[in-house]
Amino acid sequence: MSTIIDGLSLGSIYALIALGYTMVYGIAKMLNFAHGDIIMVGAYTIFSTLMVGDSVPLKIIAILLSVLVCTVLGVSVERIAYRPLRGASPLAVLITAIGVSYFLQSLAQLIFGAKSHTIETLIPGAFHIGSVRITYATLLTLLVGAAVMAGLTIFIAKTKTGRAMVAVSEDRGAAELMGIHVNGIIALTFAIGSALAALAGFFYLMQIPATNPTLGSMPGIKAFTAAVIGGIGSIPGAMIGGILLGVIEKLCLSITPLSPYTTAIEFSLLILILLVKPTGLLGRKRREKV
Amino acid sequence: MKKNGYFAAVKKGFKPKYYFNYALVSFALILFIALEMSGILKRSYANLLTQIGFSIILAVSLNLVVGFLGELSLGHAGFMCIGAYIGTWFSQLLAPVIASFAIRLILAMLVGGICAALFGILVGIPALRLKGDYLAIVTLAFGEIVRNIFKNLPWFGKSYGMPTETYGTKLFIIALLAVLFTLFVIQNLMRSKHGRAITAIRDSEIAAKSMGVNVTFYKILAFSVAAFFAGIAGVIYGAYTTPILYSFFSFNYSIEILVMVVLGGMGSITGSIVSATLLTLINFLLTANLSGDMAALKYMIYALILIGMVIYNNAPALKKYRDRFSLSILFSRIRERFVRTTPATVKDDAAAWDRVPTKILSDEILSTDLQLTTSAPDKPDKPKGDK
Amino acid sequence: MKQFFKKCMSVFVAGAILAVALLGFASCGKEEGFFIGASGPLTGDAASYGIAVQRGAELAVKQLNAKGGVKFRFEIKDDAAEAGKAGTNYDLLFDAGMQASLSGVTSGAAEAFVDKAGNDKLFCLSPSASADSVINKNAYSFRLCFGDPDQGKLAAQWIHENMPGAKVGAIYNTSDSYSSGIYAAFQAEMATLGITYTEKTFDNENKTDFSSQAEALKDCDVIFMPFYYTEASLFAKAATQKDCVATYFGCDGFDGISPLISDVMQKNRVMYITPFDVESQDATTKAFVEAFRAEYNADPDQFAADAYDAMMVIADAIAKAGITDYTVKPETLSEAIINVITASDYSYTGLTGTMKWEKSGACVKAPVIKVLSNPAQ
Repeated sequence: MSTIIDGLSLGSIYALIALGYTMVYGIAKMLNFAHGDIIMVGAYTIFSTLMVGDSVPLKIIAILLSVLVCTVLGVSVERIAYRPLRGASPLAVLITAIGVSYFLQSLAQLIFGAKSHTIETLIPGAFHIGSVRITYATLLTLLVGAAVMAGLTIFIAKTKTGRAMVAVSEDRGAAELMGIHVNGIIALTFAIGSALAALAGFFYLMQIPATNPTLGSMPGIKAFTAAVIGGIGSIPGAMIGGILLGVIEKLCLSITPLSPYTTAIEFSLLILILLVKPTGLLGRKRREKV
Repeated sequence: MKKNGYFAAVKKGFKPKYYFNYALVSFALILFIALEMSGILKRSYANLLTQIGFSIILAVSLNLVVGFLGELSLGHAGFMCIGAYIGTWFSQLLAPVIASFAIRLILAMLVGGICAALFGILVGIPALRLKGDYLAIVTLAFGEIVRNIFKNLPWFGKSYGMPTETYGTKLFIIALLAVLFTLFVIQNLMRSKHGRAITAIRDSEIAAKSMGVNVTFYKILAFSVAAFFAGIAGVIYGAYTTPILYSFFSFNYSIEILVMVVLGGMGSITGSIVSATLLTLINFLLTANLSGDMAALKYMIYALILIGMVIYNNAPALKKYRDRFSLSILFSRIRERFVRTTPATVKDDAAAWDRVPTKILSDEILSTDLQLTTSAPDKPDKPKGDK
Repeated sequence: MKQFFKKCMSVFVAGAILAVALLGFASCGKEEGFFIGASGPLTGDAASYGIAVQRGAELAVKQLNAKGGVKFRFEIKDDAAEAGKAGTNYDLLFDAGMQASLSGVTSGAAEAFVDKAGNDKLFCLSPSASADSVINKNAYSFRLCFGDPDQGKLAAQWIHENMPGAKVGAIYNTSDSYSSGIYAAFQAEMATLGITYTEKTFDNENKTDFSSQAEALKDCDVIFMPFYYTEASLFAKAATQKDCVATYFGCDGFDGISPLISDVMQKNRVMYITPFDVESQDATTKAFVEAFRAEYNADPDQFAADAYDAMMVIADAIAKAGITDYTVKPETLSEAIINVITASDYSYTGLTGTMKWEKSGACVKAPVIKVLSNPAQ
């Protein structure tokens, strides 16, 4: 039971990251492999802020600061590395995204060193339901994940900007003809995605209280997997995919003979799901036109 | 006008450009064998050549899937992993029977390649059902599963890595010969009707299907041929270094191969050769020059080069620059001087493997359509019949 | 057709310009002295270990050169803990005139390095590659650290003697040869001693979130953790969060953990096998720690100390062999060094204790179990 709780708490982090992934993918139609590294930047921002001291207001400042830094970073990366390639092959953008990822990792190593730094537990404490121990951190991550999911869904369905995003994702050319500022909408998508990454960075640090330059890469890939399981572009899908992946990972790790094969099991499950549902759990099926 | 020179003399039907890649690689091979014989070739450069050799094999074979078939594959290193482990294991098994390492290596390449190809078929099957990114992540998942399993199997050294016998500096000769073999198979495949079927699937699966192309067969064919050569590259890697560590065949390495393909131009074999050589060389030079404290800068510089090159090569806004300042203009002028291509031959050439549009349709690879905004500025206008 | 030519040609132009530019600053000035090379992870996940080795060795070289007499130069290249890159690094260093080496930092990379060094009969003394496969590769490969099996055996024996009847847990990294190597010896020794224990694993793909392993091991009295401090700190934190109170028993890879787990140390006993103690009152160690702090503004760990010692041992052996010719061939040098250090009366006392070497390449030195914190007392 407590393994499932652990899985939920890990899964909710994957879900938060996957939400950002799926946002950017769904609207900008690009696989942003640098997403994990934006989380890393967010985590380092929080770490540096908390070097000053350790108090509740400072923690809030740290979150806000990291959201700000990541948003600015995300938008500028989009401007410098992705926008010049709009209209070119999507694979070209994929490569610059990888370039950005390398760049951010080495930058972090140059600034903060290769050694990992740990921070104090951000939100300490736990409560018990029966014999199962749940930390406040887990609960908060889940709640925030759900809130973000709901917020994004409403934002996209109800607001004008949200509708514009949908339009851009459906048909960029038509959207432009309808007077939608496509570049602006995509920049906004990156801003939201990066802000989510910063938030994910905070919750990541809450559970795994250490920073290092390669912190983002593995969660990045796992979150990508989660986004695909849920159906790329689907916001509730990303949430479900992330939590599913987290729970399965923890279940595998807790069974000793299976645990070395955790990665294989996780990815096999992904393949199985995709074979049954080729567009993920909640993905929309696109009709093919000739 | 008798100034068509040498090429006019050769028999009709001989198309020099088909042999350009062979000439390039053979020239390098002969040159470096000569240097090696005379003892001028430094050891680090000989081993760099081996590295370039297996990078080219990987890039060219991945190009078959990404460039020609039009499916994004992020698990090429997984096939290499299979080849490296099984091929090397096989070669060690043969050690008491066959003394010559070179012969064992060639047999190992065959076995490693075939094993990888079998797995290629396995990956090809989901490819029938999945599209775009979903297929891409299945290949990624496959790569991770493979190396995870090899790491845990007791016969392959587990986390200690699999100890192998290394071939030494002369390995580059075998590697470059393997490159020639790869080029021979893949170029001929792409020039044949099978190649045309594969590119037809890329351009429009439905159209290809309705024209009677056996989509199932050709998708699996492309995946397994690509996997076969990745397996061969893996065997070369096993003879190049010891031990074989599972961590090498990670997702990052698959991406590195993909970078070579994309940078060289999808569907361009010469491009893959050039960019594989170039990227390996850049990495080598960065390692050679940045040691100690500077090492952290290595990836930063590499990243900047990568971003710069991709933007320079692909950005629609920079098209004018590319048209004015590129060797291709110079190259084509030189070519024009020597080889007069009459319109008739062009027509004759309509089915040439390298003449099909090099750009994958976006919606095939990322299930979306980017070209609507700016009618694909990078692509010269083509007659409709070309597709 | 034209398009792809254009593409690859412009790639080519960009690359060619770059290659020329890079070659331009390639040949920098060369200093005089014996050239000692090394390969280690200076980027990527394991970078902190490689950088520690780099700093330790560079400090040693600096001090040796300041002392006057025989001069040394040291160059370490990045291999990101990959075997293939370590091989490339060997070639590069050898072509640049390397005469002896500290081989590699991680076992896999060191094995690739040593494999090539064997062909040239070049002397290798790894500060930290502890797998037996590294020194068994050839007669020129030595190590300065403990071997993996020694530590596992020692840990099992210590638990048997000092904590009889305790509930024992063990966790190790299946992706890491250092960790699996020590664990294999530990497992064998525990079986001989007849102690049962709970076993958990993790791997390089899942090495940040330890909650499920911590859950399984939280009731143990002693947890054996044969892996490096980065992951160890995360596991210890996760276990402490689960209200686990236990003895965390680690190996030499633990050194450097103390600043990372101050909260764990308040509640739990943390101890590890180490050859080096940063707080030691020993005069040489104190001088080293001070010099290291002054140079890098950080505390040295066991990797740095081992690398420092390794450089010093090579220097000492060269001095004892009386070689002063900077152009000496690697094979001559390695023969001389090996003759000196494997002599039965040779021992070197450095930061990591008094060391002797066997012909096999193994290093004999007394392990010390360091107790980092013991709140029970």
